[in-house]
Amino acid sequence: MAMTMALATATGTVESGSRWSMASLRSALPSPSTVAASSPSTHCGHRGLRLSLGLNQSGPKPQKYFGSFTGLSPLNPLLSLGLSESTSFEHNFTIIDNGGRVYAMRHGRRVPKLNRPPDQRKALLRGLTTQLLKHGRIKTTRARASAMRKYVDKMITLAKEGSLHKRRQALGFIYEKQIVHALFAEVPDRYGERNGGYTRIIRTLPRRGDNAPMAYIELV
Amino acid sequence: MPRDRDPLVVGRVVGDVLDPFTRSVSLRVTYTTREVNNGCELKPSQVVSQPRVDIGGDDLRTFYTLVMVDPDAPSPSNPNLKEYLHWLVTDIPATTGASFGQEIVCYESPRPTVGIHRFVLVLFRQLGRQTVYAPGWRQNFNTKDFAELYNLGSPVAAVYFNCQRESGSGGRRR
Repeated sequence: MAMTMALATATGTVESGSRWSMASLRSALPSPSTVAASSPSTHCGHRGLRLSLGLNQSGPKPQKYFGSFTGLSPLNPLLSLGLSESTSFEHNFTIIDNGGRVYAMRHGRRVPKLNRPPDQRKALLRGLTTQLLKHGRIKTTRARASAMRKYVDKMITLAKEGSLHKRRQALGFIYEKQIVHALFAEVPDRYGERNGGYTRIIRTLPRRGDNAPMAYIELV
Repeated sequence: MPRDRDPLVVGRVVGDVLDPFTRSVSLRVTYTTREVNNGCELKPSQVVSQPRVDIGGDDLRTFYTLVMVDPDAPSPSNPNLKEYLHWLVTDIPATTGASFGQEIVCYESPRPTVGIHRFVLVLFRQLGRQTVYAPGWRQNFNTKDFAELYNLGSPVAAVYFNCQRESGSGGRRR
């Protein structure tokens, strides 16, 4: 009722046109309490949340702000599983807003973590590919050798294309400039006919200090 | 998993240095109490002097030729001088060792500078006592051409080991 009255006065002032006064303007603009009252109705329907908050239109209350912000933040999954009817109890993964899925187990995750945080992991792989391209054959642990295959193949593919843009992309990954230039010079004749599979891994004896399984990785 | 588990094939010795062959004679190479198995890792300090080579076989009248090459010289990513000849001994009677033969090219101890090198010891059977001439230089030696030149046929035994420079990583804790 207060909302309709506010709208009526708003239309009244617009039609009169010339005279503006703060009182009329303030009454024309929707008050924060009415905004809070109107929005949760849409948001509650969206989330399926049937919290029976007493949404009084008189005066702002903290519940209204809670209601207005429900739609933006992801709810506590335990809370949503218990209260909402849209997710059923057969689902074993939580639902994130953008459509991604989070399993409790490692199913389908193919990125090797190498027991390192992401920045250190990237630095390790960059260093290993630089050394492999420099020396041609290196000895490292099996997990690292099989993790770096992808990056070595990527570098050789960049060198096969040979354009300036690819060269600059390679310079951004490999730590030493000379190696990139040497790579771009010799890859076309060395790997021109070969499609993929530019590395070979040979497993070898474990390391004495910690019995880590080792492997040689070499350029084919 | 590779279909062929032969270490010589897996380590690409058969692809780079030799052609596929069947071993018929036993070959044992020992570097002062450390026996060489295919693909084992040795340090330059361990291979500084020539090893003890024991050849099997049965007849003392058959002679064998032993060749030691490095197919990864000067660096595995850039093998310009492939292969580098380290040792060449001919006229080795069966069941004896390399010290009983004629050393055409004297033993040079491996000193790899860049990367991990493979060192291959190959054994050929000679048809008779023949004079083998030493090549003019050690690098760019071709084992296949050498065998064809002196009618040695396909090899009868081979073994290889890896070696990197003394302070190389991946082996310092052994």
